[in-house]
Amino acid sequence: MARIDDEMLVCRCEEVTVGEIREAIAQGAFDVVGVKRRTRAGMGLCQGRTCEKMVQQLISMELGVAPNETGVSSTRPPVRPVSYGALAEGVF
Amino acid sequence: MKTYDIIVIGGGMMGTSCAYYLTQEGLKVALIERGDIAGGTVSHTDGYIGASEKQPGVDSMQGAESMKLFDEMRKTFDYDFEYATNENDDPIGFVYFCDSEFEFEKAKEQVAKNQALGIEQYAVDPYILQQLEPNCAKDLTGGMWVPKDGAVCPFRVAFGFVEEAKKTGLLDVFTRTEVLDIKQDPNTKAVQGVVTDKGEFAAPKVVNAAGCWAPFIGAMVGMEVPIEPRFGQLTVSEKTGKITQNRLALEYGYYLTKFFQDGERPIDPLVKAYNVCLNITSDITGNTVVGGCRLFRGFSIKSEYRIISAVAQRGIRYYPMLKDFNCIRSFAGIRPFSLDHLPIVSDVEEVPGFYMACGHEGDGITLGPITGKLISQYATGKPLQFELAKELAWSRWQGRDIAAYKKKEEENSKALKAVEEAYLASLEK
Ligand SMILES: Cc1cc2nc3c(=O)[nH]c(=O)nc-3n(C[C@H](O)[C@H](O)[C@H](O)COP(=O)(O)OP(=O)(O)OC[C@H]3O[C@@H](n4cnc5c(N)ncnc54)[C@H](O)[C@@H]3O)c2cc1C
Repeated sequence: MARIDDEMLVCRCEEVTVGEIREAIAQGAFDVVGVKRRTRAGMGLCQGRTCEKMVQQLISMELGVAPNETGVSSTRPPVRPVSYGALAEGVF
Repeated sequence: MKTYDIIVIGGGMMGTSCAYYLTQEGLKVALIERGDIAGGTVSHTDGYIGASEKQPGVDSMQGAESMKLFDEMRKTFDYDFEYATNENDDPIGFVYFCDSEFEFEKAKEQVAKNQALGIEQYAVDPYILQQLEPNCAKDLTGGMWVPKDGAVCPFRVAFGFVEEAKKTGLLDVFTRTEVLDIKQDPNTKAVQGVVTDKGEFAAPKVVNAAGCWAPFIGAMVGMEVPIEPRFGQLTVSEKTGKITQNRLALEYGYYLTKFFQDGERPIDPLVKAYNVCLNITSDITGNTVVGGCRLFRGFSIKSEYRIISAVAQRGIRYYPMLKDFNCIRSFAGIRPFSLDHLPIVSDVEEVPGFYMACGHEGDGITLGPITGKLISQYATGKPLQFELAKELAWSRWQGRDIAAYKKKEEENSKALKAVEEAYLASLEK
């Protein structure tokens, strides 16, 4: 498979590129959470819903492991964005 | 077998800082972490750094010393750890809110004590509070301003220590490697190395930087380490821009509850039930982080919905505009709470070659640099960074009745649980 260009944007919410993700892997990241902490990929408004698969594939290619061995991001409440006003009133 | 000058157990704030400062002294270091670097508490925390959230004395002094090291690091590190600065390139400062005369009096006492130690800190009236934080509530009693405190991205500091240490060629990092035992000379008790699930490593020196798990590492050399996990929870907003004006803001109760001195706060039963106190900051990335609480939940780091709700209430109390912004996630962490409120940083006389760098509770981001620096001084026999640092030594626990400390901690924990249970019972009625 052709090498994906370093300039390509992977996480649109936080503007993280393929190159930045490769660098994080070179520094020791071995799973989705490790990449997220080192680059912010998946930390934005969509919480990784768009980019997680792509991050998994990059780790899989760089480290030669199966995509399902690259972990998933922990899901954290609230499941969808909710206003603080609603949360204060106990709406989730 | 791999052989090193020193092995550091734990790749959190303390472990990575120790690794960095030890390599700066020319020592060959193995950093051993059972998960990933920064996978523990250092990724489940705020990034407030400063001297003000500590008790006046050795505690606030170690904060002040660490701030000097952060200032060095931001100038010398290539790795950007998001040290927050204002337009004058100074740290951004903390603002504390007092919601009662009681809190304001307590804050004034703290200011007087820290000023005597040379730590810049002021009590401010509601007028000045408004100048500092124009978005805050208009009906507060007063506050406290600490211009020299600041903020960093905690896990980026840990990654930064590792990347900077790698440049010396003296650091080997072993992630996904769990320490199972520590080898000792049967006669002298001196450490000889560690046993892990990936094999053995030899070294005449070993550092326990395992945070909340430090008691398990201590037990491997026969030590009873008085550290318990103390739960905290935070929420993160969508991009908000500056709700806080480039500053970190806390309610003064956050400081008081740390030492179980909060008295009566004028708060909702839900907030009381979960011991929630506001800390809030609009950070460099444009998100606002809103917390927090102090509870005892064992080793659980599960976010709880009622706590999110209480945090939202507390946030809106001090920053009414917050109500219209979205929360996008919540996360929780455990603070390595040393039962006398001081971290344990030193060598261990009864186990030659063994060092402790643990128990930093809610201050481990601030105290990361100074702790690694002190351990590097202990390990090379150099004079300590500051005289009072001796008070952080493990030796203070010798001859103390650890069981009595544990009992007191259990009582505090039970009292908190009782408030929560009373609240839950009131809901059922
Ligand atoms: C909600 C919250 C807010 C906070 N806010 C602040 C703040 O604003 N400012 C501040 O200064 N501090 C704050 N703190 C405190 C700070 O986060 C901690 O004191 C600090 O992160 C502790 O760092 P550590 O290196 O001791 O622990 P950790 O980061 O937990 O590192 C310990 C490491 O040891 C590893 N380990 C354990 N056992 C083994 C083993 N057997 N083998 C190999 N590795 C092992 C773990 O996996 C872990 O990675 C906060 C904490 C919480 C929970």
